Amino acid sequence: MSHVADQAYLSTLVSAMSTRLFDVPLMRGLSQRSLQSLSDAFGLAPLLDDQPTNAARSRAIEQSLIHLLLTELRILIRPMNADARGLVLDWGRKYGLSNLKTLIRGKLYDLDPQEIRENLFELPSDIHLSGQELLRAENVLELLRQLEAGPHRHIARQAREVYEQQRDPFALEAAIDQRYYVGLVRRIMAFSNDHLASLRRLLGAELDRIALLWLLRFRFCYQLSPSETYYWLVPSMRLLTRERLLQLVNLETFEQVLKALPEPLDAVVAESKTIAEVQQRIGRHTSDEMRWVLARSQSGVARALAYLMLRETDLMLLFAAVQGQLLQFPETTVQIALELIEPTCAWDAHQAA
Amino acid sequence: MKHVRLLALTEALPQASLALAETESFHPDDRPPTETQLSALPGRAYRDLYSQAHTRLDKITRLIPIEPPTAIGQIRVVDVDELGALNDWLGKRWEEASSYEEDLRRLDDQERLVREQQAALQNFAHLNIDLGMLRSKTRFLDIYVGMVPRENLRRLEGAVGLAGYLLHSYMQLGDITHVVILGPTGEKESKLGPVLAAAGFQSLPIPEELDREPAELQRDLDAKRHSIAEQRQALRATLEAWAAPYRDQLLDARHTLMLAEPLVALDPSLRSAGHLAHLAGWVPARAVKALRQRLSESLNGAFELTVRNPRPEERLLVPTVPVKSRWLTPFAMLVNQYGIPAYGEVDPTPLFALTFLLMFGSMFGDVGQGAVIAGAAWWFRGKLGRFWPFGLMAGLASIGFGFLYGSIFGYEHVLPALWMSPLSDPLLMLSIALGWGVVFLTVACLLAIYNRLAIRNWPDAVFGHHGVVNLVFYLALIAGSLQLSQGKGFGVMPMVLIVLSLGALAAHSWRHQKAPVGEKILVVFIETLETVIGYVSNTLSFLRVAAFSLNHVALSIAVFTLAGMMGTFGHILTVILGNVFVLVLEGGIVMIQVMRLQYYEGFSRYFSGDGHAFAPIRFRRGLS
Repeated sequence: MSHVADQAYLSTLVSAMSTRLFDVPLMRGLSQRSLQSLSDAFGLAPLLDDQPTNAARSRAIEQSLIHLLLTELRILIRPMNADARGLVLDWGRKYGLSNLKTLIRGKLYDLDPQEIRENLFELPSDIHLSGQELLRAENVLELLRQLEAGPHRHIARQAREVYEQQRDPFALEAAIDQRYYVGLVRRIMAFSNDHLASLRRLLGAELDRIALLWLLRFRFCYQLSPSETYYWLVPSMRLLTRERLLQLVNLETFEQVLKALPEPLDAVVAESKTIAEVQQRIGRHTSDEMRWVLARSQSGVARALAYLMLRETDLMLLFAAVQGQLLQFPETTVQIALELIEPTCAWDAHQAA
Repeated sequence: MKHVRLLALTEALPQASLALAETESFHPDDRPPTETQLSALPGRAYRDLYSQAHTRLDKITRLIPIEPPTAIGQIRVVDVDELGALNDWLGKRWEEASSYEEDLRRLDDQERLVREQQAALQNFAHLNIDLGMLRSKTRFLDIYVGMVPRENLRRLEGAVGLAGYLLHSYMQLGDITHVVILGPTGEKESKLGPVLAAAGFQSLPIPEELDREPAELQRDLDAKRHSIAEQRQALRATLEAWAAPYRDQLLDARHTLMLAEPLVALDPSLRSAGHLAHLAGWVPARAVKALRQRLSESLNGAFELTVRNPRPEERLLVPTVPVKSRWLTPFAMLVNQYGIPAYGEVDPTPLFALTFLLMFGSMFGDVGQGAVIAGAAWWFRGKLGRFWPFGLMAGLASIGFGFLYGSIFGYEHVLPALWMSPLSDPLLMLSIALGWGVVFLTVACLLAIYNRLAIRNWPDAVFGHHGVVNLVFYLALIAGSLQLSQGKGFGVMPMVLIVLSLGALAAHSWRHQKAPVGEKILVVFIETLETVIGYVSNTLSFLRVAAFSLNHVALSIAVFTLAGMMGTFGHILTVILGNVFVLVLEGGIVMIQVMRLQYYEGFSRYFSGDGHAFAPIRFRRGLS
């Protein structure tokens, strides 16, 4: 069976599901809609009515949107082979990792187990990474022992240091995120040439975005040294490669970093004044790359992943709009969150640098 | 099977759960009741307490193993207060035990570090340098000796390079890499600390007096390990001493949790409104009386039990009681690989067992090889578990047909055949196989018809796949073919029946199509053609039963031909190896072919397999 024939069903499925992506007028209209209109249009009314507080409503809506995304993920993986399924499931496991972080943070700060449980996403078993054992740990030391003995032992050392030296759990969570992206890169590199180019383009764009934002934040917000900043970054297989990152982290100012970026990133973020602005611009650039893969790639798995990434962005924007209405934010703030206008009041890169 | 609905006092639920567990006849129905008032979940708090207490007990007994209970002892009610008190007590014990576990972990960590030190020093022993220099930083050089997880190595190398340091990896042990990092002393040194911490770098202390003999150093480290082992032993003894007064209580705790388990198992199907609790489930009809009696004794009559037959729309929810016969259990396991009989459906296990043995025996008939299969199943019965009777019976079937064929380890002239050797009349063997196929397919169609009639699905029983009309067509086709083979022509009656049945099927299909006329014609034509071809090819499929019995003899002849070319030793060796070959290869293929005939020609006709097994709440096995 030829490669195209092999991908026919998956590609058709992706094309059919792509009609669910938000178009520009819908996206623009999100910030102007009332809470009632949003809940009617997206079937959120029962979630809003059943919850007693705004925090609970917000949580229920986020949970429901993630559930929707993961349901679509599970539909898409059905016709995939083992490698493709593994990659897409690994991508979805970011929500499992989010649960893991919540769990560890909650235990480290001795929060009530019920409160921790309420903040965990309900996930399917193949996405859920934190075993019941971790949830049942009754004190921090027990949690650390379980981390050391279980599949998450790679982060156990950071967790122990956070606990013993009363440090901020930044290092721990950064280690979890870093391992997640390194795992995705490894998965992609194992694919055959039929898929590799598209997957490199897709994940490369995402990793370029992550690496640039982390670099700017770690260097100029958290004031980490070049060596520590470099350590936490995940090199991309596209533009921000290992060598490029070694060079970028050694630069002293925000502007120098932006100017030293390779094409086309330098043009995308040129003249940006804040990290929020960079985030918006590179976010749009990454979405364009995803749309390109979705529209033109021959690889079913790359198209499916591009669809899921775009769908995730849409759903999170919808969530931002609902949350903006729940918290009664001004329309301008909601528009900034929806990336419809560029931020004007965010952190000033000059001052921090 | 009956559907029962129990209304009782919420406070009496623990007693009710014990009574239900004792009878071992209540399969909970998780559907909520129709009365919306019955919406509270009375078992939720109990379940949460149980779950936490159970986890705590498991964690404690991982440290201090206690004997598994052999009997449940006196059955008594465990109320929520008792369970709560037990949970609190277990919480306190676990807090104490947890500190011992932490001490043990610390000792493990120390031992691991000493082991890594030993490995590192062994490595350094080959170097002609003053190792004392590695111990602390010098005026110009800052040196770190230690270990880092292998996956962090490359990133760490880049990061320390940015700080003006060099990283040299000198040893790899599992997923840990031993490294030396060195660079200029100065302000960059302070920047390296967070990077090393982030990479999980663990410093390896270089012992004092490195100018001593390496053997002496190793002795010191051995002594350290010995001391750690002694500390561990002492800690274990302390742990034992701590646990001694609690052992009986822990055993009691396990008993208490076992008594609480039935109510926890009922939790998903429990609903209540105030003092009134509702519970529904499925009970075998013969067990209803005993269940009512047991509930009367336990609840002093303060309950209401409503019993009714399952409704047609509930058919897929009704559980099926599995086969209990020891001899049929392995066959039931194979049937369950395909599916569990739905309620009202004929359980195919006995028929499957009989036809499986007949087909396997006839395709692999040999007294000696059958005896080897039966003997191996008996010999390995411990390892095969409940599956060993399957091997034994397959072997016995093979022996039985071996006597009929007069075959022992492939020798066809040692035993007198009670019937005949398959190769002496292959055409007869093929005819019998075809006849067997006709009987098998007819029985399968009859069962399919029965299964549909049992659920009052009349249209499918008559017109559906393998229904009455299909069977009439098939039997007419067989009758006509039989007459044709005897030179009497196909016959008018069979032809009329075939035309009428195919016409009826086509008309039925036409009525149920919702498509343009052209598409209807195409579909009806293809479906009719598929019916004809399907029955013919399915019947011919049974020729393999004869083919394998012939194949078995032919393989044996090949083995003996080869053996005949050898000397005495070679002859014996070839016969033995040939028999092993036939046993393993042909035995495996025959097994697969029989399973194929059963699943494809049999089950796909009459067995839906979409039921679920009856799983009543009960005390843990071996206790009640």
